[in-house]
Amino acid sequence: MMELVNFYLVPGLILGSIYALGAIGITLIFGIMRFAHFAHGDMATLGAYLALGLTTTLSLSPWAALPVAMAGTALLAILLDRLFYHHLQNRPKILTVMASLGVALMLRSVVQVLWGVDPQVYTTGIVRAESFAGVMVRPREIATFATAVGLMVVLVLFLRHTRWGKAMRAMSDNPDLARLCGIDNEAVVRLTWLIAGALAAAAGFFLGINTELNTMMGWSALLAMFAAAILGGVGRVEGAVVGGLLIGVIEELSVLVLPSQYKMATAFVILVAILLFRPQGIFQGKVL
Amino acid sequence: MDTVGLLNYAIFMGVLIGIYALLTLGLNVQWGYAGLFNAGVAGFFAVGAYLSALLTAPPAPDRIMGWQLPTAVGWLGAMVAAAAIAWPIGKVTLRFRSDYLAIATIGIAEVIRLVLRTEDTLSGGVRGITQVPRPFGDLPYEWSQLIYLALTWALVLLVFWGLERQLTAPWGRMMRAIRENETAAAAMGKHVAARRLEAFVLGSAIMGLAGAVYVHFMRAITPEAIDPMMVTFLVWIMLILGGSGNNRGALLGTLLIWVIWSASELLTDRLPAEVATQAKYVRVFVIGLLLQLVLRWRPEGILPEPAGR
Amino acid sequence: MNPPPLPNSPTVAKAHQPLLIMHEVRGGYGDADILHGVSLTVNPQEIVVIVGPNGAGKSTAMKAVFGLVKVRSGTILLAGEEITGWRPDAIVRRGVSFVPQVRNVFAEMTVQENLEMGAFLSRSVREEEFERIYALFPDLKAKRHALAGSLSGGQRQMVAIGRALMLQPKLLLLDEPTAGLSPKYMEQIFQICRNVRDTGVAILLVEQHAKQALAFCDRGYVLATGTNRYEGTGQQLLNDPEIAQMFLGG
Repeated sequence: MMELVNFYLVPGLILGSIYALGAIGITLIFGIMRFAHFAHGDMATLGAYLALGLTTTLSLSPWAALPVAMAGTALLAILLDRLFYHHLQNRPKILTVMASLGVALMLRSVVQVLWGVDPQVYTTGIVRAESFAGVMVRPREIATFATAVGLMVVLVLFLRHTRWGKAMRAMSDNPDLARLCGIDNEAVVRLTWLIAGALAAAAGFFLGINTELNTMMGWSALLAMFAAAILGGVGRVEGAVVGGLLIGVIEELSVLVLPSQYKMATAFVILVAILLFRPQGIFQGKVL
Repeated sequence: MDTVGLLNYAIFMGVLIGIYALLTLGLNVQWGYAGLFNAGVAGFFAVGAYLSALLTAPPAPDRIMGWQLPTAVGWLGAMVAAAAIAWPIGKVTLRFRSDYLAIATIGIAEVIRLVLRTEDTLSGGVRGITQVPRPFGDLPYEWSQLIYLALTWALVLLVFWGLERQLTAPWGRMMRAIRENETAAAAMGKHVAARRLEAFVLGSAIMGLAGAVYVHFMRAITPEAIDPMMVTFLVWIMLILGGSGNNRGALLGTLLIWVIWSASELLTDRLPAEVATQAKYVRVFVIGLLLQLVLRWRPEGILPEPAGR
Repeated sequence: MNPPPLPNSPTVAKAHQPLLIMHEVRGGYGDADILHGVSLTVNPQEIVVIVGPNGAGKSTAMKAVFGLVKVRSGTILLAGEEITGWRPDAIVRRGVSFVPQVRNVFAEMTVQENLEMGAFLSRSVREEEFERIYALFPDLKAKRHALAGSLSGGQRQMVAIGRALMLQPKLLLLDEPTAGLSPKYMEQIFQICRNVRDTGVAILLVEQHAKQALAFCDRGYVLATGTNRYEGTGQQLLNDPEIAQMFLGG
């Protein structure tokens, strides 16, 4: 039993939190801007490397660099929208998807040019797992999970109880009516990018700090993030959280039945399964 | 470079342009005719390449097949295999909006890549598959290369001609009608989903063929040979720049982008070693930026779709 | 007794200044015009109804007031200010609210949240504002935390109207508010309109159920093929045999 927890559940929840943070952004963008943001993974990569840059140039600890990287990526997300997506908004959405594929490559190449393609780490040295009543975790894993959960809770509270959070939900629900209520579409879009960018950076950071940083890491996680968003129900933030955690755990558990190289394929299998059997997802989101 | 070297280089370029032309034509069937976003082009390419190699190469230990069948069989097999993979993917996702197809094709390309990297019995492991034959392969090198170039382009023109004919045929007109106004077409009783599936499968088969042409030219294949994202992305920008929905545009775009891509490679190869690797990524950045510029200022591409066909 | 004021004097003008004046408006959504010269007025605190056969341009005429239609010529004046060509969010700020015919609630938000969204433009909303709406729609109060999408058609319509009233508009535009509702709810909606009018709001509505609408409104306009045909008080239009025959199905 303890083995199950330590070898599969703990890593699964960590990985799942990372997927969840990315999936939240993807589901918000799906819900409000109504397109699949293929640059999301590479936005996470950029955020992670931003944090790396801050730790090396300013000698900050990685955890201190995290909020700055989140803020930077949040602003970058708005810039990306202004430069590459905004002018496509009245054209078929698939063109924006295509643009985002191009943006993914651009973000990745920037990281590759500035930091090179060799894997990097935030801090060196081996960190041993400690035992908490039989559960083996590392401090950074606790920090990852706690921060991720904290961010998600803050976001859900924001969406449920604040004026602008509700405006975002309204825009996702019924954009025409939202406009009739005087809700500024542009402002909601900017807010969405801010949130999506910040959370993507956090996802990238956690990915990097728990394994290592490499330039393809965001892209490799993209499929799982999309699967999580669709599994939870497109447009549903709670769904993205649950979906992310589920996929993280399932991916870790998959090694019990599949060779470990196929871990990344589990997200694809789950995606096909949802589309076949329950396309609206767990929490009944939109079916695009 | 001496004349022979130059000639070989030109042949090499010519064949590769032909292969990319096939890929772009295949993508045009999916995107230009049916409005489908296939983000996994490289996957179908790889499937075609590997299957054709496995069918035609001699046997090797610890690896399946190697039946030394004629090249033509290999090429046919490649198309069938790519189509066979496309069919279930399309069946599941085409009911929904194209975003889902895009995500699923990224997934299938990824799965294909994983399988090829992991299953050595399929892919021949790190060594890959070698001794892939080609028609007239026994002739002296230059002749063999030249014939292959001619063969490749004969194929490209054949596919081009076939697709152009389909455009004016009832099938092509129906595809256009569906793309322009899906609800109206569905109301007229056209089976929209079935037609889109056809387009997806056909396009994928052509991509598989491109893979087969590639592997028989290179006479070998290893998992590292193809950078999936670059192949997929290059084909996309070739089509978008050249003109989507337009087969001529597809060819034009292929030529233009290939020239830009190769020329930039020649330029950056002359840079000192430390900068050369970075330079590759700068080239990727520029291509990505080029796509954004095209989407912004001329999304219909250089050769827009011929109207009222 | 004093002589009555002269027609042009300021007192008369102010007392009788219409809230909304549409004059010879032509326009549509795309290249083809749907409206070929529509004129109407709405005075403060009155209920005006637009009826007519299908395709008459009734909804289009009303949407033109709210800036949802391309106006090619003609003018629209709100409280004396020209609002022709203004965008909806500017018109909302001038005290006009619009309730579309379909998709007129936030289905995945609660009744209370729908009302909050209605009041989005005012930064903070006091409890009294909600109470005002719940006073008009007592059924909704019990359901304030229910998702709007889970309500019946009639209740959803009440949420839609309530949402539009949150900012205390001077003019309320309703697009076929009784479409698809049972007669019981239809009567309720009309009663609500009267109650709303009595709180000081003018209502302009488009109605398919012409007879019932003309029976309860103050004044009405009959449109056909994108232009005016008849106007008068509700009773006048109802009693006119010509109109009854042509437009009201006898």
